[in-house]
Amino acid sequence: MSSSPQRLHPAVLVLEVLTSFRRWFGITSVPWLFVLFRDGLSSSRVLLLLAVVFISIAASGVWALLSWRATVYFVQGNAFHFKRGVIGKNERTVPLDHIQSVDTVQGPVQRLFGIVEVRVETAGGGGKAADVSLAAVARPAARELQRELAPRRPSAAADSSEVIAPIPAPVRRLSTGRLLLAGATSGQIGVALPIIFTLSQLFDDILTPDFLMSFAHDLLPGSVAAIVVIAGGVLLLAWLVAVAGTVLAYAGFSLSRDEDSLRITRGLLERREVTIPINRIQAVQVAENVLRRPLGLVLVKMESAGYGADAGVSTTLFPLLRRSEVEAFLQATAPEFAVSPVLQRLPARARRRYMFRSALPLLGLALPASAVLIWQSRPEWAPLPLVLVGVGAVYGLVRFRGVGWALSTGRLIISHRTLSHVTVIAPRRRLQSRSVSQSPLQRRAQLATLVVRVGRGSAFEVVDLDADTAEETIHQLGPAGARATP
Amino acid sequence: MRAQPNERLDPRAKRLWRLQGMMTSVFLLLPAAGSFLLLDRVVDAPTLVSAVPWLVWAMFAVMIGLVLPDIRWRRWRYEITEREVDLQRGLLIVTRTLVPLTRVQHVDTQQGPLERWQGLSTVIFYTAAGPNRIPALATPRADEVRDRIAALTGTQDEL
Repeated sequence: MSSSPQRLHPAVLVLEVLTSFRRWFGITSVPWLFVLFRDGLSSSRVLLLLAVVFISIAASGVWALLSWRATVYFVQGNAFHFKRGVIGKNERTVPLDHIQSVDTVQGPVQRLFGIVEVRVETAGGGGKAADVSLAAVARPAARELQRELAPRRPSAAADSSEVIAPIPAPVRRLSTGRLLLAGATSGQIGVALPIIFTLSQLFDDILTPDFLMSFAHDLLPGSVAAIVVIAGGVLLLAWLVAVAGTVLAYAGFSLSRDEDSLRITRGLLERREVTIPINRIQAVQVAENVLRRPLGLVLVKMESAGYGADAGVSTTLFPLLRRSEVEAFLQATAPEFAVSPVLQRLPARARRRYMFRSALPLLGLALPASAVLIWQSRPEWAPLPLVLVGVGAVYGLVRFRGVGWALSTGRLIISHRTLSHVTVIAPRRRLQSRSVSQSPLQRRAQLATLVVRVGRGSAFEVVDLDADTAEETIHQLGPAGARATP
Repeated sequence: MRAQPNERLDPRAKRLWRLQGMMTSVFLLLPAAGSFLLLDRVVDAPTLVSAVPWLVWAMFAVMIGLVLPDIRWRRWRYEITEREVDLQRGLLIVTRTLVPLTRVQHVDTQQGPLERWQGLSTVIFYTAAGPNRIPALATPRADEVRDRIAALTGTQDEL
């Protein structure tokens, strides 16, 4: 299989000029503008400025033209070739077998020209830096390239190479209502708060504490009320930022499936398109955070395998679903993961250990605090920090109740709860290893911890399972023939 | 409980780990001496208190240089069945791990200078979830294990 050398879409010139313009002027323009405005604008200065701008555009335009002429890509002899470099020549060869994904990204400028950036990845896909990135490719050419480079099964390769793959119909789109609901319940306020504080530094001159206080005071008299209003305002702002972040990332989320891969398109300003072969999905996670759980809403994520030393990646399979829709959704996208078994719970003797484990670190905090209170001759307050320990114990109880697991037709399902409730579904044949470990205390209680690994850095565990059950389970999760009769 | 994996590491492993533990203790003399000087000269603590760093060091040295290597050796077991590698290890927390041979991507043997001196090697086999190792096998045995894992990996069908 081979194709003639292709150049990038000429619109790459515009992209290049814009990029270099932004790079140079982003840093250097500030002192220039400062000088200009301090000394006033004279016609000669404006002319000089325009000349500088013009020359730099022309220079970067010429450079972009040269590099456009030097850049070609083509498929030859089972490898993808990418040549570039005006002065130093550089040719990269990527064997077709090693290509894991061919994704496209479309920024605002690229959308203007109807072109996309094509990223060729040899690792799990979705990583930060692509192995080859083609900055500007026309839509049809990008489709053609995706078809040519698509990771293929040996059997499918022979007959599919001549047929243009039809663009699959979406399995599911995210409606606007759901998008907003996803933003509202994303629980990303914690991420948004630092952004708010950074921004507030910028507006320091306008939003002085005095101004804020008097503003809040006008709304609601009383200093406590003022603080409440400010805190509420900051939280509301953080929440809005979180909503905006979700909308930017997931607007127009659409998931489609062809025979053996899933394609995800998403993003408002920057359109992203990711293709993931279904047989590289190692595990699916269904997560319900604190806000979504009462509403019966979930986020579905998938863990895909990395290659060699590269870590796998966790990708959003669908941003928001009703809990009741999950099974049908998985049936339509990745049927291997569609299962809703009855979960087994932990033995009752594990309860004490869960409560103890959550309470102990807080006891370490509470005891010194109580000691300080007594030492400061406030013994009447001393029991107060110990309330923390009670809170810890209750949290431990909640965690204990949240743990569940099941083996269902070759799939391991593990449910656990911290602040969010997460259910992991991993088929037996995707497990890289299974372990059982036992500490001396667990041995005394005949409990053990079960750990399964599906990829580098992604391990799932059940703590304090019955020891014999755990041992039996890791053997049952083995390859079919290794399953000795108990 | 199921039977433990039936192979043990080479008995020379104990000597190797003791050597490594002793070398570590020699390095740990430095912080011990440092804290002794700090207590004795700078803080001017009573002799009993200043002796604490030496005591801690001595206990540590005995543990990592004499006691722990034996426990670790007794615990460590492995077995390569037709379909899986079965490992058991741990000092306080005992861990049993099963790795299907179908998941093994490649196998290495590795030998540090101390291991070479003792005629020992480590077998390392990699899955997509990272490396697993069987340490301190007699070098010919390690080569055998490596080749066996590689051969079995090759003949396994995808499930």
